Amino acid sequence: MTLPEQPEASRLSILALTTPVAMGYVPLGSVFGFLFVQAGAEWWLAVLASLCVYAGAAQFMMIPMLAAGLPVGAIALATLIVNLRHVFYGLSLPERMPNQRLLRWYLIFALTDETYSLLTSLPKTVGHRQMAGIALLNQGWWLLGTLLGALIGASAKLPLAGLDFALAALFAVLTVEQWRARRDAFPIWVALLAYGIAQLLAPQQALLIAIVLSILVGLWRKPASAELSGEAKP
Amino acid sequence: MSDSPYIITVLLAMALVTFALRALPFLAAQWLGRHPWVARLGRFLPLAIMTLLLLHAMHGASSEHAAGPWPELAAVAVVVLLQLKSRNPLLSILAGTGLYVLIRNFGLF
Repeated sequence: MTLPEQPEASRLSILALTTPVAMGYVPLGSVFGFLFVQAGAEWWLAVLASLCVYAGAAQFMMIPMLAAGLPVGAIALATLIVNLRHVFYGLSLPERMPNQRLLRWYLIFALTDETYSLLTSLPKTVGHRQMAGIALLNQGWWLLGTLLGALIGASAKLPLAGLDFALAALFAVLTVEQWRARRDAFPIWVALLAYGIAQLLAPQQALLIAIVLSILVGLWRKPASAELSGEAKP
Repeated sequence: MSDSPYIITVLLAMALVTFALRALPFLAAQWLGRHPWVARLGRFLPLAIMTLLLLHAMHGASSEHAAGPWPELAAVAVVVLLQLKSRNPLLSILAGTGLYVLIRNFGLF
């Protein structure tokens, strides 16, 4: 990413970094808030969900389950399955996480798909406070969207289809930057193949299955060169 | 769905499960120390997962309309080319999303 390394530019660059996330989180969050309130819940419960659960797919999934009055255990199990991929996110981050407890636990709590993508592509010069700032801003965008959707209700309908494609564009940018960091396209080919296989096996759980397949390949594959393995321990 | 105590219980259970999943690798990292495979995954996984998230987002977007994957492929191609050339994330994302919104709303495909 084109991230200014001067401290005085950091506040601006954090805001700029989270802008694409905001373009996805605010509309998506408002759709969540809208649907949640439409299903009959109080508006502040939608905000509570985005405050303490903070997991997009699981939050959307729970609306019909809550409406159907399913047992708490069943909804918890569904959450476990939908969010299982998050287990693997932490694997590439431990060395970069802050030691300071509050920052560390907040970052772990707020490790959504998008925050994970931003954090893993930051240069090593980015400090822990800035990392936490990015995570906090992202959750702020999600909360703002949820609040808007819950309060505005019917008028929260998106004016144009496809604005949430900003998230896909963000992932594309981060894929390019991850590739630029190592110039090794092998993980891309593995991911393409794994996702194809996963779509054939079980379209509902394609992302999770593809991640597990990719991890298996990543574990099996030896480091490409001595230079690369030296890079792993800064 | 007007039973607030039930909803709050469900939300707390979901919060607990989600947080536990996100915290597990960090707790496990303290127990296991630094295994070589963690470093190996750390090099391999970010690009693989980013590609998967991109594919999944494209797949999700293309299932919202009947035009096939072409609008998504065109928009992502623009983002990737711009990002490779310009290294300006905001420009790449705005251009790609703008093109995608145009295609979807004004029927270029």
